[in-house]
Order: sequence, then C-alpha cells, then structure tokens
Amino acid sequence: MSGNGQVYEVFARKKRADRFEHVGAVSAPNEQLARVYAWQTYDEAKWFEMTVAPRDAFAAVNRPQAPFTLGGPGGRAPSADSR
Amino acid sequence: MGRFTDEELQRKVQEGFIVESEEDMTETYKRALITQLTVQGDTELISAPAYFMAARDAPSTNTMVSATAIIQDELGHANIAYRLLEDLGVDRHWLLYEREPAHFKHPYGFDQPLMNWAELVSANALYDRAGITLLGDVHRNTSYGPLKRGLVKVSLEENFHLRHGEVWIRRFAEAGGAAKEAVQRTLDWMFPMGVEWFGMPDDRKHHNAQLDFRLKGMTNDQLRRTWLKAVVPLCEELGYDLPAQYDPGTDEVELTYELPCQYDPEARRWLFNETITWKQVFQRWKARGPMNEQYVDSLRRSRFAVERLLAA
Repeated sequence: MSGNGQVYEVFARKKRADRFEHVGAVSAPNEQLARVYAWQTYDEAKWFEMTVAPRDAFAAVNRPQAPFTLGGPGGRAPSADSR
Repeated sequence: MGRFTDEELQRKVQEGFIVESEEDMTETYKRALITQLTVQGDTELISAPAYFMAARDAPSTNTMVSATAIIQDELGHANIAYRLLEDLGVDRHWLLYEREPAHFKHPYGFDQPLMNWAELVSANALYDRAGITLLGDVHRNTSYGPLKRGLVKVSLEENFHLRHGEVWIRRFAEAGGAAKEAVQRTLDWMFPMGVEWFGMPDDRKHHNAQLDFRLKGMTNDQLRRTWLKAVVPLCEELGYDLPAQYDPGTDEVELTYELPCQYDPEARRWLFNETITWKQVFQRWKARGPMNEQYVDSLRRSRFAVERLLAA
C-alpha cells in the first residue's frame, strides 16, 4: 500500500516520575508524520512526554520474538477469509 | 498459529488466558476477531461523516468545536481498530478505499441522515450510549490483549460524547415547546434504530464464536437490555415519549411494540403495525440505508482528487 510506510509504536507518560506506557501504534511514511499522527491519535491525556519508535527497532530480551510482532510492519493483502 | 485447538483455546480464555500473538490463536478465533474489529472500526469511521453532516448545523463556534472534537475522536478510534486489523494481516487500504460501501459493517442506524443539531445530540445520547455498552463490555471481557489496551482511550472519550448528548437533550427538554419537539421527532425514528443496534435476539443467533472465545462478555439481548435500562428511564425523566416503559419495581424495560418491525427510510418512520421476520430485517441491513454510499464516498473523494493533483 502506497505511502503508509511502517509501523511506529507510541509510548507516553502523564508526568515526570511516571513510567512510560505503551499507548498504541500508528502507521506512517516517515518519522515526522509518525510523531504528528501519534500526537493527534492518542490525545486522551495531557501527556508530559510522548515518544515513538519504529516497530522493527525493538529487540526481544527473554522471548524468542520481539514484542509487537503480529503481522509485521504494514498490512498484507487480505486473505480470502479476512474479507 | 496452531498451538491450540479451538476447544483448548476456548477453555483457556474462559479461565482468563489473554491472547497476545498470532501463535496463541486458532483460525476460528482470528476470523471472529477480524469480524469484531471490522464492525468496530467501520462504526467509528462512518459516525464521522454522519456527525459531520449534522455538525454543519452547530449553533455557535463553541458547539462546533465540541462537535468536531467528537468527530476527531471517532476517527482516532477507527484508526486504532484498523491498526489492529493491519497487525492481523488485513490491508487497511483495501478496508478504507476498495470495499463496496454496502460491505461496510456498521449498524444500519449510521446509514441514516443526521439533519440538524437536535439529531446530532440525540445520536450522541443514543448511539454513543450503544457504543459504550458494546465496547465497555469488550473492554472488560476481551481475551485479546492489544484490543483491551486499545480501548482505554476509546472508553474515556465515548463517555464525553455521551455526556455531550445527555446534557443537550436535557437542555432541549427544559426549553420545552419546539425545542423539545425537535428531539422528540428525532427519538421517534432513532430509538428503534438503537434497539436494532444490538442485532438479532439470542434465540435467533446460531453463531456465538465471539462469546465462546471471550471476545465479548454479554449476549446481544443482555447488551440491549443494558442499553434500554440506561436510555429509557432518562428519557422518561426528561418527559420524552418512547415506545418502551421502565418499571422501577422490577427494574426492567419493556418495549411497547413488537420486534422486529419494518422501517420506511424515505418517510423516516417505523411501521410498528407491520410485523416482519428477522430475515427481512437482515435484508434491510444488507441493502444498507439511504446515506451509505454518500458517507463512504465523502471519506474517499479527497484522497483520490489530491492523488491525481500530486501525480499531474
């Protein structure tokens, strides 16, 4: 699919001293737009800090696969049964 | 995929197991999850053009801001559902731009025109209440981890939409006269749409993979009852007439018409005396309502127009 680039995972925290929480993901053609989409989509709180990282930058530590690995970056063409 | 059989997975999720990856799923689980997420995403998506149609009638800048804030929320919720679908291998471009409008899976209620401010706030009070009823249940019960997390934002924001609707229908009721009459006329066609929102009654529905795999917690009838018990007492308190009655003694709501019945979309009128079969209702849903194509097209038009400009 054109222009949707890759998946970025979104992390945010409401105040200093909070842990970063994984709040979701966005698909974007580049990091700049990923930052915009993340800020606009996950606007449910007044975040002190939000950050995005490309999904394929995550490395698994104690499991065979990295987190967020379902389906991999971007979408594939739907199989007959998903239509 | 393939770690479990359907029976094993059903037993595990009923005991609290949370599915996090495709290897935890079975093919049946995945198919049921994709259907559920498509209904969810499409409903959020199509609410945007429907609400936008009515928002053009916003009576002031402030009310326009609250209406468009709601629309932005709904698009964000659609985005979250479609993002989860992408991770299950469904192509978002296909979902948004290549499906026939009639193949979208949102409820029939969102295929209707919303003509003015009274209709917008009534939809917030009735349809967003239906959304909270359905998604709140999914949020509490779903066995799919990524969806449970995705619904945190959705639940927060849908409550704001509902409050928006309830505050405004109260305001119209207190004003009385033509104001109250405008909401009453809306409820006359919109309330039975809300009753239908929850689908076929339990005794007609054979397939319940969503319950077996704990993708939701309550049955259609239980969800419908929850919605009725929220909507009907409030409307009675505000002095609106609905074809339903709340009995405080038993804490139950009874409809005062026979389900299912026929709807005339041109006249925007329910034909309460024309009792039909659920099969006929299903056919009406499948054929979709009057705004189906226009709403879907309004979400696509600019994308292709701008693409052509960029390519020229």
